[in-house]
Amino acid sequence: MSYFLRRQGWVFGLFVLFVALFIVTRLIQPAYGSGDFGSLVRAVLPYAFAVAAQTVVVIAGGIDLSVAAMMALTSVTAASMMAGASEEYALFVVPFVLAIGLVLGAVNGMLIVVTRVPDIVVTLATLFVLQGAALLVLDAPGGAGAEWLKALISGTVPVPGLPDGIDAWLPKALLLLIVCVCIIWIPLRRSRLGLSIYAIGSSELAAFRSGVPVARTRIIAYALSGLFAAFGGLALTMSTGIGAPIPGPYLLASVAAVVLGGVALGGGKGGLLGPIVAVFVLRLVRTDLTLLAIDPNVTAIIEGAIMVAVVMFGAFITMRGRQS
Amino acid sequence: MKKYLTMVPLLAGAALLASVGASSAAGKYTIGISNTVQGNGWREEMVCAMKAQALASGEVAKLNIAHRNTDAAGQLEDIRNLISAKVDAIVVNPADPAGIKAGLEEATKAGIVVVAVDQAVTEPSAYIISNNQEQYAYLGAKWLFGQMGGKGEVFYMRGAAGASADSDRDKGFKKALAEFPDVKVAQEVFTGWQQDQAKQQMLSFLATGTPINGIWTSGIDNVIVDALVESQAPLVPIVGADNAGFVGQLSSVKGLVGAAVTNPGSIGGAGVTLALQILDGKKPAQQTVLVEPQLWENATDEGKAKLKAAADPSLSPEWPVSISIPDWTTYTKDQIVACKGPGE
Repeated sequence: MSYFLRRQGWVFGLFVLFVALFIVTRLIQPAYGSGDFGSLVRAVLPYAFAVAAQTVVVIAGGIDLSVAAMMALTSVTAASMMAGASEEYALFVVPFVLAIGLVLGAVNGMLIVVTRVPDIVVTLATLFVLQGAALLVLDAPGGAGAEWLKALISGTVPVPGLPDGIDAWLPKALLLLIVCVCIIWIPLRRSRLGLSIYAIGSSELAAFRSGVPVARTRIIAYALSGLFAAFGGLALTMSTGIGAPIPGPYLLASVAAVVLGGVALGGGKGGLLGPIVAVFVLRLVRTDLTLLAIDPNVTAIIEGAIMVAVVMFGAFITMRGRQS
Repeated sequence: MKKYLTMVPLLAGAALLASVGASSAAGKYTIGISNTVQGNGWREEMVCAMKAQALASGEVAKLNIAHRNTDAAGQLEDIRNLISAKVDAIVVNPADPAGIKAGLEEATKAGIVVVAVDQAVTEPSAYIISNNQEQYAYLGAKWLFGQMGGKGEVFYMRGAAGASADSDRDKGFKKALAEFPDVKVAQEVFTGWQQDQAKQQMLSFLATGTPINGIWTSGIDNVIVDALVESQAPLVPIVGADNAGFVGQLSSVKGLVGAAVTNPGSIGGAGVTLALQILDGKKPAQQTVLVEPQLWENATDEGKAKLKAAADPSLSPEWPVSISIPDWTTYTKDQIVACKGPGE
């Protein structure tokens, strides 16, 4: 137990924070229930994929500024392909769009590896390229989403034998998030490739001297980031039923959640669970601020202040822990 | 144990916030507001009109305002948060007409009255109160093309790509364009309804040296006049909205010929009035209520008199001067300028 706490201390702390916030939410709005939790998860979904995309490259010692633009491009591609098409056609669109994300992410990685231009510059450039490409696909918000795709995130998962009261707390969106993230992350984390990603993020030179294929690993990390961003783009189309070519506020939010989630921006440390719990915390803070009817111009300040406070407090606790 | 230390300041903060939330003023309704463009003069006036009307009506106990820069997915989040807050009505300026359909449908199902202001939405249960945007563009463009002598090149400065107000205005603009076959669009740009962006676009266009005979703007107007004056370019006829800065310029800038088409941001106040009427059981005959625009130009004496009467230098230059809508808003000028809602 203490080993678990030491390894996952930050995530555990975040989870406690989430539960505490949830209790606060119930205090503010006693009627806050399972349906509202479902709304929260649906709001979390695109952010969670954006932060997953960011986390993979940050662990590998990089940064990806093109996450939000990639989501916009994949979202408009999906929405414009599905507009007027049959429901079955969407079965083809989903893997196609995910493949686009994977390929574009790999292109990001290859540009960084081959040109040796810093990642921040390359991904900034691809941000503009992808943003323009998204406007070429759809010059204005539009398109459509298949009904079955939209149904994937609305309502709850019917589990036979489970009382309705508990079942109501299992929104489909949560299941979708867990499945999509686990299918990619768990095998990766346990594989040699996953270890290599951590290794190059921790120390590129040491990894190279230990025989880790640094270039290939970096390209794969960016490709995975693109794949997660494509999931995020699909999540946007699922929730709104359209595609919007102008990127939403997901880039900065993803960096914020990565930091709050206990992933070192220098690379090599952290996991995916922390940043995703951090997204839940940040969205719930937004809910509370709305429930409390706080002046909207103040809410952004409060959100930022909470982030800094939590990260500082976490660093303080870690420091104290090391001393004792 | 150390972990639990995190919770102490948090719970203290929560208790403090909860005590703030408990205070309430007179009135019986709670109204939620969702808006996705922050820092734009028109939208700020809209939000202030909502606050002022809620206060003036005396029927609103509390406003829950979700007002930030976000996309349709973010607006869905805000709308669902407002549903969680158990508001009686939601007045929304949609980020996208179709993209927030699911959220509005859930609100209606939860027994919440939904009123969309400024732009239409596709959700059939929602009420819509909006300025007639197609007519807005048609009136201004027709006047502009007439001023240009029915021929020449026009610089077409649109709003935000994909906003339904923008596509409606495009329809009106194209309708006027069809009536003047000799008028051509020199260039078409999206200003995103951002002052700085529009001014930059105007300066870039002037730098190309392309001759133009008129400029149609989607309400980002005073900075365009500034750009022309600063770069000493010829003052071609300009159409803008009734923003205080532009209305002032129409009377004060020498040699400027232009027209302001009304597009009151106070439509937000009208949205609150409509929501309250529905809550009180007075449903409008139609789902959609349109407010018709007017045109004030400075080419004739009659127009100049109208402009003079409308001008209000005390307002912020980005605020529309038509700060109220007859029959729909009851607040005073002081109330909207103060921008305070019930309980503030």
